Amino acid sequence: MSEKPESYEAAVERLEQIIDRLDSGQAGLRETLELCGEGRDLVTYCTAELDAVGEGLKELKLDELAANLAASTEAGGA
Amino acid sequence: MIAGGPDYYPGGGQASPSFSFRATHVRLAGEGDLLARLEALRKQLKAEGLFQLQGQLRRPALPKTIGVVTAESGAARRDLLAGLERRGWGGTVVWAFAPVQDRHAAPAITAAIQDLAAQPQVEAIVVTRGGGSLADLWAFCDETLCRTVAMLRVPVVSAVGHERDSTLIDDVAAIACSTPTHAAEAAVPLDCGTARLGLERAAAVLSRAAEGAVRARTPHLVALARGPARALRRERLALNQKTREIRAASERGIAGRLGFQRRVAGVVLERAARRAAGAEMERRRAALHRAEVALRAHEPERTLERGYALVEDRQGEPVTDVSAASAAERVKLRFADGTVGARIEENR
Repeated sequence: MSEKPESYEAAVERLEQIIDRLDSGQAGLRETLELCGEGRDLVTYCTAELDAVGEGLKELKLDELAANLAASTEAGGA
Repeated sequence: MIAGGPDYYPGGGQASPSFSFRATHVRLAGEGDLLARLEALRKQLKAEGLFQLQGQLRRPALPKTIGVVTAESGAARRDLLAGLERRGWGGTVVWAFAPVQDRHAAPAITAAIQDLAAQPQVEAIVVTRGGGSLADLWAFCDETLCRTVAMLRVPVVSAVGHERDSTLIDDVAAIACSTPTHAAEAAVPLDCGTARLGLERAAAVLSRAAEGAVRARTPHLVALARGPARALRRERLALNQKTREIRAASERGIAGRLGFQRRVAGVVLERAARRAAGAEMERRRAALHRAEVALRAHEPERTLERGYALVEDRQGEPVTDVSAASAAERVKLRFADGTVGARIEENR
């Protein structure tokens, strides 16, 4: 992927533009293949985003989150 | 609410005794009072532009972590979780439990919201509780709480009370929902199941487009692919042609060279012949010269030069004997340096 999309919405919006362009039938071969490549990257990105929230809902209390964050910051800093 | 006090008149001769209540102050109390204060605060916050701020924030379609402020034990918590699961959303919910109904509620909720917003992972915050009277929900009309929410950089979804209840937090929040279930949908705008189907369709469209684009151009591509072979064949033909031409040319060249050599040989031979002929001429010339010398030796002039004279008749014919001289009578004597006339006078 040339660059990571700004957000899931941005990725989906771009994906829709790509599909509209492909549906228009006006894209030449090179553009079509480039758009398809870009589109596949976007689908991969979006799927990964969905997968990230697809493994079952996790619940944390705020103080647990804060403690996790502090631990990871320490580990990162050490 | 009326302030005042009882009054008693014992009566007199012309008046009956009486008991009355004297009202000194009257003001709205209960819901009426709360509503009036709420309305005043609402006007003020609106005038300050605090109602628009949250609405301008970007709400992520698919947050990975959301914060929730609610009572630890309550239907709202359960409803919200159910709503999130119906979305097919399996992210992280960070609970910030707070009392939602007493005089400690507003500061506790405010602190909880601020704590959640301070966590970088938290992409949206839901503030929710079940229905109740305006007094029950009063914490959610707290000025400090509402100002905090309005100024927050994280979008807040409010779902306080039921549909008919309107709290001030609904006005300042990014989005106000009537139920915790709706709040779940607002916090996670994307239905993950539908999104997956959409992505699968998009992937299929992309594959079809890529294959279709290639297939649609296959004849052209095949033609293009044949191009090199055709070009190769053409070049090979051209090459063969050239080879033949070169061979022919080289044969012609050989022939030409042969012809040339022949011509050269001819010239050489000719020259040799000419040289040979020259020698012959020379020889002949020498012979001629010798002949000339020999001839000249026999010429009459040479004889005359030696003192002889030639006798000729009047016609110039040589007179070679006596009878011819007698007959001629007059003759010419030709010497080496000239001719003189003479007369034949006597015969012997």
